[in-house]
Amino acid sequence: MYVEKGVKKLAPIVEMKGIYKEFPNVVALNHVDFSLEKGEIHALIGENGAGKSTLMKILYGIYDQDEGTVKINGEEKNISDAREAMRLGIGMVHQEFMLAETMTVLENIILGFEPNKHKLLDYDKAYSEVMDYSEKYGFEIRPNSKVINISVGEAQRVEILKALYRGAEVLILDEPTAVLTPQETEELFKIIRSLKENGKTIIFISHKLDEVLEIADRITVMRKGNKVETLSQNDATKEKLAYLMVGREVFLDFEIEENEPGDRILEVKNLNVFGRRKLSNLKDVSFEIKEGEILGVAGIDGNGQTELVEALTGLRKVESGEIKIRGEEITNKSPLEIRHHGVSHIPEDRNKTGLCKELTIQENLIANKLPDDPYSSKIGIINFKRVKNFAEELIDKFDIRPPKTDVKMQNLSGGNAQKVIVAREVAEDAGLIIASQPTRGIDIGSIEFIRSVLLDERKAGKAVLLVSADLEEILSLSDRIIVMYEGEIQGTLDIEEANENNLGLMMTGGNPDFKGGVTA
Amino acid sequence: MGDLGLIINLNLLRATLRMSTPIALAAMGLVITEQAAITNIGIEGIMLIGAFVAVAVSYFTGSWVLGILSSVAAGVVVALFMAVIHLKFKADVFVAGIAINLFAIEFTRFLLRNIFNTAGSFYDPNIVPIPSITIPIIDKIPVLGTLLSGFKLTDYLGIILVFVTYFILYKTVWGLRIRFVGIHPLSAETGGVHVNIKKYQAMILSGIFGGLAGAHLSLGYTRQFIENMTNGRGFIGVAAMYFGGVTPINTWFASLFFGFTEALGNNLQTFGLPSQFMLMIPYIATVVAITIGMIRKQKREKNNLL
Repeated sequence: MYVEKGVKKLAPIVEMKGIYKEFPNVVALNHVDFSLEKGEIHALIGENGAGKSTLMKILYGIYDQDEGTVKINGEEKNISDAREAMRLGIGMVHQEFMLAETMTVLENIILGFEPNKHKLLDYDKAYSEVMDYSEKYGFEIRPNSKVINISVGEAQRVEILKALYRGAEVLILDEPTAVLTPQETEELFKIIRSLKENGKTIIFISHKLDEVLEIADRITVMRKGNKVETLSQNDATKEKLAYLMVGREVFLDFEIEENEPGDRILEVKNLNVFGRRKLSNLKDVSFEIKEGEILGVAGIDGNGQTELVEALTGLRKVESGEIKIRGEEITNKSPLEIRHHGVSHIPEDRNKTGLCKELTIQENLIANKLPDDPYSSKIGIINFKRVKNFAEELIDKFDIRPPKTDVKMQNLSGGNAQKVIVAREVAEDAGLIIASQPTRGIDIGSIEFIRSVLLDERKAGKAVLLVSADLEEILSLSDRIIVMYEGEIQGTLDIEEANENNLGLMMTGGNPDFKGGVTA
Repeated sequence: MGDLGLIINLNLLRATLRMSTPIALAAMGLVITEQAAITNIGIEGIMLIGAFVAVAVSYFTGSWVLGILSSVAAGVVVALFMAVIHLKFKADVFVAGIAINLFAIEFTRFLLRNIFNTAGSFYDPNIVPIPSITIPIIDKIPVLGTLLSGFKLTDYLGIILVFVTYFILYKTVWGLRIRFVGIHPLSAETGGVHVNIKKYQAMILSGIFGGLAGAHLSLGYTRQFIENMTNGRGFIGVAAMYFGGVTPINTWFASLFFGFTEALGNNLQTFGLPSQFMLMIPYIATVVAITIGMIRKQKREKNNLL
């Protein structure tokens, strides 16, 4: 293999041997070897829970390994914390940006390594140093903007620059493209290549195989805590990588049956809503969904999608405009009343708003049922026998594991927890299903399952509003797509005319020629 | 018009500054801890203990300097105690603050009885107060003299410390790190900043400010110790801190505003208006100020829609 060929030249810049790490009840890493050559772009791929993040967190000093050694430039090191990792020249760009939003870009970059004269901040020096880096690697940043006012792509560049400023030689990028549009991804790849030209070493964590094949020199595949294989880019194909990752063949391309949409279920007219940020205020949003139709909502996170879902489900106040379900007004009604109108909701954050981790599977499955018959008596005493039967039925139908009704949710994997939510909401038999990021951060098996459930619901004549940051998901399930940008509908596309390119352009405020009407 | 002249006059402005000093000192301590994401409502108790210690030490040693230093030391001890409870043993800082405040009232009452054999208040000619400063030349100029000269040393110190606090928070490495600790502790941690150490340091500073505020109250503003003499000034400091948007200069203006309402209340009292009602004015002003602050915040958010 590659490592053997390159031997005798230089010790690998990073060499991890026999890394073993156990969390309560789970072996997260089972004697994993990982080696990194100086100056390479090394992709680390695997499903969620495969152990790639854990491995990198050990390298970055966030976790301690139970067994195994880490060598940096041939010397064994004990990396006790992130400070130590930084001292050794290892930097990490986390999926969740480590940036203080109300501070400036410059302040965020220099934090911890501030240029100073007698402990007084030297902003002029900081500015020129940061600009030097930005020119050297071809970054575009505005040091004096506040982080809250910059785009996701720019925030990511700031994170990378921050790591370089702190002296990183090895840069770990944890799923860096998950939040980017295709165009921004191209921009990022340019930066990564320029880093490589300047002698930096990159670890690129991803599960998007096309991207990995485009950017990586070598690829290490992980599955269920084990390293499966390290291959050079020339030996890798998409099919081979998918097979190594999942351990079986994967079918994420669904055959979508032709379906004639029926009556109008949801009608939204000139909706105006205050958002969390200025950019996410909804401005005159209008659209409709018919029976048997999936309407995809594409957009970069934070462009009003969350606010749209919250307004539709009664969780956020509507300033003006109308929301109608089968012609009945539900604007500013309570979440319960809206549910009674036949709207079910798969929330975007399963841990915060989707379920209660302290409670059991069956309790979570009936969370939207009580205080209705037949699960409780008139004075509110729960009939656990019926609850259990109901739960068992759903667990069986949705293949929830472990298949026990009284297991606490916190013991479930992300995919199974998500299936509990989907099961609960689909069992409502509501006319409209609002599914927000329904497959975010879960394993491929569960993704397949949940997507097919949504397609089944479509077939059964339900209307589905699918909000997703995953363009592949939007493109493979939707009948029509609306793209949100800065709280407005940037455009509407039929599935036949949509592709990653024109969606990506619209997500960043561009107007492709073939843009459809603003109202649907 | 004559009456109004009696109410609004130079002495009112003088009184405003005097009344604002303890509030501003407490509020500066609060600004620093709040920037580090700790709302130290225990400042009220720290002030009260400081006020007692200052009087006691001044009485026994005959030195107001030692009085202030001991008060500051006591403030630091209490603040550190709170910091340990909050940061090491993970107690809610509000609960710790309330406990400290209740403890301070009873503890100083207890000491008053046991050391000075008195209840209610302690006054003695042997208590050496903080001196007043007469500014040469300016003192002789009619209006300016009244406005600027002849205040207690700690009144001037309080104003200087407002700008010192501003400088520390916005111009030093330490200040930048403190602000990150408050806004985004994880980013501070990954930047190599020891978050908890920074929080301890912020608490120590708030102890110093609280001690100073207490010493000023008992040795400068008055020359005695009275049970529960802080009388909510620490809490008004909390209001000033929020009203001032947790920035030193604006918080100082808020403190001046609260000082003004207190001074105005006192002035109106001499006109035979019910004293209890007049004493309410600063507290009503606090409620109004916070309400205005919230309305302004909402308006700002609404304007974002455009």
